[in-house]
This record gives sequence, structure tokens and C-alpha cells, in this order.
Amino acid sequence: MNLYLLGPELSLIGLAFLVILVDLATHNKNVVAALAGIGLVVPAAWAVSLWGQTASSFYGALVVDSYSIFFKLLFIAAAALVILMSVQYSKRFAPYQGEYYAVILLATAGMMFMASTQELISIYISLELASISLYVLASFLKDAKSSEAGIKYLLLGAVSSAVLLYGMALLYGATGSTKLNEIAQAIQESMQRDQGAVLPAIVLGAIFMAGGFGFKIAAVPFQMWAPDVYEGAPTPITGFLTGASKAAGFAVILRVFFVALGNQAPLPVDWPALFAVLSALTMTVGNLSAIPQANIKRMLAYSSIAHAGFILVGVAAFSSQGVGGVAYYLLGYMFTSMGAFAAIVAISERLGSDQIADYSGLARRAPLLALILAICLISLIGLPPTVGFVAKIYVFWAALQQGLLWLVLFGVLNSVISAYYYLRVVKAMYLGAPASEEPLPVSRTLVVALAVAVIAVLAIGIFPQPWLDFGTGAAIVLIP
Amino acid sequence: MLSSFGYVGILAIVALLFPIGAIITFLLANYLLKLRRPNPAKLTTYECGMDPIGDSWIRFNTRYYLFALLFVVFDVEAVLLYPWAVAYRRLGLYAFVEMAIFIGILLIGYLYAWNKKALEWK
Amino acid sequence: MTIGLGHFLTLGAVLFCIGLYGVLAKRNAIVILMAIELMFNAINVTMVAFSRYITPNMLTGQVFAIFIITVAAAEAAVGLGIILCLYRNRETVDAEQFNLMKW
Repeated sequence: MNLYLLGPELSLIGLAFLVILVDLATHNKNVVAALAGIGLVVPAAWAVSLWGQTASSFYGALVVDSYSIFFKLLFIAAAALVILMSVQYSKRFAPYQGEYYAVILLATAGMMFMASTQELISIYISLELASISLYVLASFLKDAKSSEAGIKYLLLGAVSSAVLLYGMALLYGATGSTKLNEIAQAIQESMQRDQGAVLPAIVLGAIFMAGGFGFKIAAVPFQMWAPDVYEGAPTPITGFLTGASKAAGFAVILRVFFVALGNQAPLPVDWPALFAVLSALTMTVGNLSAIPQANIKRMLAYSSIAHAGFILVGVAAFSSQGVGGVAYYLLGYMFTSMGAFAAIVAISERLGSDQIADYSGLARRAPLLALILAICLISLIGLPPTVGFVAKIYVFWAALQQGLLWLVLFGVLNSVISAYYYLRVVKAMYLGAPASEEPLPVSRTLVVALAVAVIAVLAIGIFPQPWLDFGTGAAIVLIP
Repeated sequence: MLSSFGYVGILAIVALLFPIGAIITFLLANYLLKLRRPNPAKLTTYECGMDPIGDSWIRFNTRYYLFALLFVVFDVEAVLLYPWAVAYRRLGLYAFVEMAIFIGILLIGYLYAWNKKALEWK
Repeated sequence: MTIGLGHFLTLGAVLFCIGLYGVLAKRNAIVILMAIELMFNAINVTMVAFSRYITPNMLTGQVFAIFIITVAAAEAAVGLGIILCLYRNRETVDAEQFNLMKW
């Protein structure tokens, strides 16, 4: 029962409650935002101080290793960017800003728990902590679109977590344990006893769990909620969903499948092949649906589905390079999508529109903003010198080493297709005629968010080595 | 021993097919057998023989809903107290402190509801 | 005939599928929420049965069921809140009418 290991999450939850209490006491909502943003330093510093340790506590439910610390820092960075993006935006629901920031912090805490637990009950609770917070955040604008996004997210999310739970129940019933390492051992033993035969309950449980987690990362065929929710939700939250929620889904998928179902030889369920097929489907469907979109948030929603497909290539590779690639990709994708959505927040704040047609001639009205959005979109295509390029190369290379040539060809083809719809936005911004010459001012907090995101996109892309080492260091935990 | 539970999987698949078959059968039977002779008396809601007054989707006072919601949330949290109470002697001080923190968190929720005037009827 | 694990699991599977049927076939958002609740309870039956028959000395499955109950209540509370908000905006809770956003 080492509470010190639980420090980052505990301090974050404490911060969330502090935000609620301060919000009850004060009328100056900027204080609340500042408290939430600056307070994130405590869990971040605590997480850094745990770096390098490998320990577990709470009867093995909580593990602290480089893998979980990597994701914890990623989620805290995402939360900080979302809070920076929200300071101006949250004036739209002025009386409820305190709740807004508190729920963001609680969602972050849920995601951090997701990355650092290896026990089914805790995985479920932390997943729901993150999900329920995100349901609330998605419907925070309280207008027709936003509540529709919220209810769609909630109903489909609840069904998917029911399916996930059924999978967990079957796995628990077949192995008699909820701890991932004990499950792995029990499966190994029963396979040895039965000459390699695998219980149908395990196969079915694995498939149900893949479905439940597939929903969280918006993989095809569980992607139908994503475009609607991303379009209707407040824009900073859309960034949070693409950047952090997806990463949390991948963090838990990797942990569950690699630890519980990946340590046996031969594998009880051929889930790498399952994920390879899902990956090919996801990127193709995401990219093809993104092409005709007129709303930029909706276009980026489909793009985020496609990116889930690219990241799944690394999961399907089932190797330490693959996991390292996934970690690096998630880090880069988080900064890229946060940067893109911060730019969209800044633009829609002034234009009052998310239609790509209205972005025409933006480079003349707000040159820096257009440049930042263009850099983020280039990173989403996967062109140098941005992080998207290195991430894709690394993930594809990991898949090639495992002989997944067909999947890599699929990925490269999809990257080429995706260039079309990203460049359409860039073309509108740089070559289109502006509706007026009036410049678009950007609020100071948004400038910070934009600067941090775009510097990260370029820095991680130009000097990838330390970050790749960071990601591979996290990966070693799962596959030595 | 474990392998005898393998049929759970088969059961689940059969049970998955069951509702799909049921939907098709019922929809088909309904479509083939139903008589379409609606009249106003037939279409009214049955309400103990009385003529219904207005739509059932009237706007209830949100207060009812708010109280019910608060009740459900606090009520269900009480479920977590039972296992703790049963095993209290064996768990000792550590679990007591943990439960105090848990109640403390609920208290913050209560304070929040109080402050937002969710507990007043007006 | 004695009641064994298989009976509980069958009950769980059938309940789960009735819930799934409700989710897929019903149009009222509140009824869909109720059907989801049924799915969670089906899982609870399965969990508790496994706990009793597979790990009689450990209460893992029962603890899991307790957590599922609490989380489901929280989920339903948030869901009803969002439905209320939606009803204020749209004057309907018909899932077929949730069509402001379409591909």
C-alpha cells in the first residue's frame, strides 16, 4: 500500500476537488483556470520523480513503470494544453467554468489510472472515470448539437463498455483471476494441459474486449460515434478526445493484450492479425470519409479515425519496435492534433464558423495562425520535418520487420490519399481570396498553447532520437 | 475442469443470434398479420377508463428529477460501505482512513449540491 | 436437477442479449438507457456466478459487480442529465431524431 506511488493521480484528484471548492467560494473564474493549469505542475513533477522506478502496489493493481509514467506525462501535457485552449473559449458557459476544469482534471486522472493498472476491475473503473467525464464535457455547451453529441457518445459508450465488461467476465471466468499476469499464467497452464487447445470463452472474451477498447480509440467498425461527437463537442474537448482519450485507449489495449494474451507461445488468440485487419479497415474508411467533409472539425474527426488505423499498425506488429513506435506516434499525434484544434479555436473565435470554405485567404488575415495550422496539417499527412513523418516511418518499419508488407502498402497508399484533403485546407488558406482584410487577433493563452504545440511538433520531428528512446524505454516494459 | 465452461461461448453466440432472429420474425409477423383500421378511440392512451388529459410528455418540474438523481447517486455509494462494514475488524485503521476520505469526497459533492441550491424546493 | 454455473451463465447471456435487442430496436433514449442497464445487470449475474463457482474463496467477481452497480448509476445519472438537456433543446427524446449531424 504505497501511497507515494499513487501520488500523481492522488494530487490530480485533490486538485480537481480544490478547483470545485475554490469555484464555490470565488466569482473570479480566471483564478479557477489559473489554479487548474498551474496546479498540474504538482502531478507532473511527481510523475517525473517516479521515472525509472518499477514497482507495484495495491496487491498488484497499480504498477509504476516507465510505460505508465510516459503516458501519465502525455496526459498531463494534454490537459495543460486543453486548459490553455479553454480560457477564452469557456466564456461561452461562463457560470460553469469551475466544473468544466474540474471535470477535465478528473478525466485526466482516469486516463492516468488507465495507463498504470494491470487489473481488470481497476481498468474498468478508470476507463469509466475518464469516459463519464468526457460524456459530460462533450455536452457542455448545452445547445442542441452539443447535447446530441453527448447523448450519442454516452449511449454508444455505455453499450461498448457493457461489451467490454462481458469480455472481462468471460476472461475472469475462464482463468479465475482479474490480474493480467495471473490471467496470462492461467491461460498458459490450461494450454499446456489441453495440448494447446484454448477455451472458447478466452477467445470470445478477447474479441469482446477488442471491441470494447476499439470503441475508445474509434477503430472501424466502432467508429460511428466519433464524427458526430467531435463535431458537436466544444472544440478544446474535441482536441482532448483526439489527443488524450485515444492515447489512453491505446495505452490500455497494449497493456491488456501484451501482458495477458501476448506472453504465451503460441498465442492463445491471434489478435495481432485481428488488429492488422482492423487497422487496414480503419485507415481506409477514415480517409475516404474525410474527403468530402466541409466542416473542419468533422474532417479532423475522420482524420483521427484514420490515424487510429495508422497507430494500430504498430500494435499489429507485436514487437518492441512496434510498441515504441505506437508510444512515439501517440505523443506526436497528441501535440499535432492539439495544435490543429487550438488553431481552430482561435479561428472560430473570430470567424464564428468551422466551415473549410470560410478559411479562404486566412494566410493574409492571420499569417502566423495559418502557418501553425499548415504545419500541423503537414504533420498529419506525415511529411518531414514534422513528427508525423518520423512516427509513420517508425511504425511502418516495425510492421515491415514482422513481415506485414501488405499492411504497410495499405498505410502508404492511405497517406497519399490523406494528403488530398489536408492540402485542400492549406490551399484554401494560402491561395483563396479572403472575405475581408481584417486581421484576426488571438488571445494570449491561446498563443501559448499554439506555440507549445507547434514547437513540440517541429522539435520532436527534427530531433526524434531522445523521444524515440523515451517511447522505446516505455515499450521495454511490455516486451523485453 | 475449466474446459467444461467452453460452451459459454457457444451459448453467447446462440444468444446473440436469438434477438436478431426474433427481430426479423416479429417484424415479419407484425407486417403480415396486422390490421390497419385506426380510429381516434383506438389510438388514445388507456388510462384507467378515463379520457387522457393532455400529452404524457408534459414538462415535470425538474426538482423531482434533481432530487431523484441526488438520491440515486448517494444511495448507490452506500453499497460500497457494506463490504467495508462486514470486513471492518480485519481491515483496521487503514481502511477506516480510506473510507473517511471516500465519505469526504461525497461530502464535497453534497456541499456542491447545497451551494448550487439543488436541495431547496422553490 | 440442480442449478449449476451453466444456468446462471445462460441467464446472463440471455439477459445481455435482451438488453442488446432493446438498445438496437428501441427509439426512446430513456428506454435505451434502461436496456443498457439490463446489459450491466446481465454482466453482474455472470460475474457473481463465476465468483461463486470458479473462485469461491476469493470475492473478486462480487467486488467487480459492486463496482459495476455504482458506475452504472453514475452513468445513468449523467445520461439522464444529458437527455434532459436535449429535451429542452429539441422537445424530443426519440433517438431517430438525433440527426443534426450527418455524414
